[in-house]
Amino acid sequence: MMNLKRSFALLASVFILNSAVAQQQRMVDFVGGARSIMTNNQLLVRDSLADTSTVKRNTGGYALIDLGVNIRPNSTTEILGTFRIRNNYGGFWGAGVTVDVRELWLKGIIGNIVRYQVGDLNLKQTPFTFYNHHADRFDSLPSIFSLQNDIVRYEHFYSNNTWRSQGANVNFGFSFSRGLEEINFNAYTTRLKASNFSTIPDRLFSGATVNVVQSNHFEINYNLATVFDVKGTATATNNFHNTVNTFNTSYGATIGAFDWKISGEAGESNYAYSEAPDTADLIDYFIYVKGEINWKAKHLSINGGYLNVGPDFRSIGAQSKDVNYSALTNYYERYTNSQSLRPYSLYDLLNNDAIYNTEISTETAHIDASVNNVMPYGIATFNRVGGFVGLNYSHPNGFYITATHFKLNEIRGQGTTSLKDFTSTELNACVEVNKFLNLKNTIKVQGGSTYMTSVRIGNISLEDVDLKTTKHQVGAEVEVSKGLDLLFGIVSLSSKGNEFIAERNIYTVADYFNKVEYKLNQSITAYGIRYRFDSKIYICGLFQHTKYADGFHTNVDYAVDQFSLIYNMTF
Amino acid sequence: MKKYFFLVFITLSLTACRKEKDTYEGVSIQELYSDFLLLDNFKVDKDSVDFANGENATFSAKFNKPVNWTITITGQTSKARKIITGQSKTIDISNGKWNGSTTDFPMFTKEHCVALLKIENVVDSFTVSTNIKTLKVNPGFVIADFENGFNPAWTKFVQSGANMDFNIKSDSLCPQGAKYLKMAGTVNWDYLIGLIDFPATAYGTAKTFPLNTNPDNVYFNCLIYGVPNTNESIILFQFKEDEDGNGTYNNATTDDQYDYQITVNWSGWKLISIKYSDLVSLSNGQPTTPHGNSIHNPNKLAKISMLHLANPSNGFASSKLDYIIFTDAPLEP
Repeated sequence: MMNLKRSFALLASVFILNSAVAQQQRMVDFVGGARSIMTNNQLLVRDSLADTSTVKRNTGGYALIDLGVNIRPNSTTEILGTFRIRNNYGGFWGAGVTVDVRELWLKGIIGNIVRYQVGDLNLKQTPFTFYNHHADRFDSLPSIFSLQNDIVRYEHFYSNNTWRSQGANVNFGFSFSRGLEEINFNAYTTRLKASNFSTIPDRLFSGATVNVVQSNHFEINYNLATVFDVKGTATATNNFHNTVNTFNTSYGATIGAFDWKISGEAGESNYAYSEAPDTADLIDYFIYVKGEINWKAKHLSINGGYLNVGPDFRSIGAQSKDVNYSALTNYYERYTNSQSLRPYSLYDLLNNDAIYNTEISTETAHIDASVNNVMPYGIATFNRVGGFVGLNYSHPNGFYITATHFKLNEIRGQGTTSLKDFTSTELNACVEVNKFLNLKNTIKVQGGSTYMTSVRIGNISLEDVDLKTTKHQVGAEVEVSKGLDLLFGIVSLSSKGNEFIAERNIYTVADYFNKVEYKLNQSITAYGIRYRFDSKIYICGLFQHTKYADGFHTNVDYAVDQFSLIYNMTF
Repeated sequence: MKKYFFLVFITLSLTACRKEKDTYEGVSIQELYSDFLLLDNFKVDKDSVDFANGENATFSAKFNKPVNWTITITGQTSKARKIITGQSKTIDISNGKWNGSTTDFPMFTKEHCVALLKIENVVDSFTVSTNIKTLKVNPGFVIADFENGFNPAWTKFVQSGANMDFNIKSDSLCPQGAKYLKMAGTVNWDYLIGLIDFPATAYGTAKTFPLNTNPDNVYFNCLIYGVPNTNESIILFQFKEDEDGNGTYNNATTDDQYDYQITVNWSGWKLISIKYSDLVSLSNGQPTTPHGNSIHNPNKLAKISMLHLANPSNGFASSKLDYIIFTDAPLEP
């Protein structure tokens, strides 16, 4: 309650400041959003004995407002503070109300040369240094599933593969009249972990990029990303560092009807603890090369490339996962008469922000082989070598298709000298029927499939691995009258086969392999109706039926029916 | 342009040469999933261990594959237990060392001990035995272990309720040494059942306890017993600093008081450890600002008060207390 009072006092101060600032004719804007979600849920447990221990039905929801105050006290300074007021439905007289600071940053320009930002930052560098790959995300989700998935992304500040950080960022550049066009410098430093003054030291993440642009056709960058413990900030002396140095470059040109481009990145990493055994000092390199040809007249582009990421290549900034598979779901967390933990399902992957990370992890993130065993850390996944091809077709009449195929294998065996082969084939398409038929109202049909395989033929049959994962999604959006949409979608995930999952110690070295077998089938069927007041405000009624079936009965099958009423606006 | 392609070609050629076909990461899967074999018998390196002089008992064994193992050492007289667990192919000095400490109370006495090794998913188990020659010594400053009765310089106050018992006991429940403090009674008009003040002057002539100046290097520890099926006891420790060095703690004006409130909602003995810098100042159980410099100064600690409390409307409350000690790391009893 004390915090609540302080927060209201803070808010009041901001409004008073606003008045004062306005009187001085300085610029103050309010930005933010508001959201309300009401849900009615029912759990169905398919156990051999009726589950009489779990409360199957629940209703809940919340309303919140994110109020951002954007202040520009002068032409070179900008400040944003966003407060969140949230009230869970059923909380009366302030009992369910929380007030938080969601975002706070200050940015500006020094001497018309150096740009800076301090406070909250959304940062990324390259896919091998600092990058949020969203490796397990379903690409090209039907609109109906994007509604709640977009809320997860908003809650965790996921935008353009950035990670949320807190620290400082500066950048500046020079232009040249001959030889080079420009050289740009960017540097940041953020704090990953605060010291507890005994066992945990302050852990910082710093990085820099030097960008040399020779012309519109050619540029080359040097990138540094380093995570390190600050010596002396704790009594423990086992200090950690992970340094990644890379160069990336691109060269593009137009020859006849084709635009072509070749780009790539190569670099090395060092991952070590000062007092760890020598075997835990990991040094390795990677190389990534990609060629693209764009045939503009035919709206077609194709690409292909080569990937080689060493088994000991470690880059915390690029190998952190957005999904935390160890997190509790906070939604029907336990079920069955034995009140065992409910295994997460497609519903959680798409809609449950409790299992998503906001910040990068300093340890190897757990993977789920049943979701993505081919590249669980995106193209920065260590111990992968191979090639890929891709295709994009984007017709102005509203027909889009993308396809990619990866063929990879391990560089170093895992618990055996036999190597695994991986393939991943993905195809997504979208047809805007109204554009073909020249109709005014939107009619959109989306679909896509992903097929992933992991195969190892071992020295003995015990070592064999054969795992297949299939994802399908299909959906439609029909605007029946201006602003009123009917939505439909199905998404499914099935995993069959076996794999050995490496258990990695704090030095990320595998010290055990857990044999797992999958026969999982999951799906969500969803129907909805949405009314868009304008491009930034909508209200939507949404019904979702989630099914989780484990053919091996390791976990008890279940289903969840959920009806949601979502009101969302941004301003 | 040609140079660019040449550079890419060279780089690709070099990296494509990387092969690690004869090596692999981690333990062999063949080993991991083969049948279990005990390659070297389960052994202990000493028949009799002098823990007080820094000796350790080291257990050893070797298996054909990494396994999850548990060693349970049980004192045959006290029934004290020490549990050591690990996941490895070998048990040796790096993971199988016992320094005389205890996992499940009471603490070990000078006695015969049997160590039982169990392997996950293996039916067979293995035993060895050893003797404790001298007991482990816990470095630190002991406030009270009640072995010598009540120190006359301590101050005790006990309410005049029903079934009051605020006395030192000696029975089979004792977790350390031979004696402990029992606190019990029904006080239906007040939370306070009884209290004991432990002034620094009770331990010598100094006005403050001989503790480190750095509050991150000072840990307060004690053993508390929760009595099953009774009203929850609340044990409140008050740490009273003498900021101005005048020999008197003065809460109202210039001195800090930090508190540690423990709700005894468990059964049996439990080790309580807290870092001095994590102590907070409480008023009626709620955080408040101390009246002194608000800096944790363990070297200025002049008095510790221990209050046994319980909700007066809930009736009889009982708990037990032993081995109050300051250490420079969490106590490993």
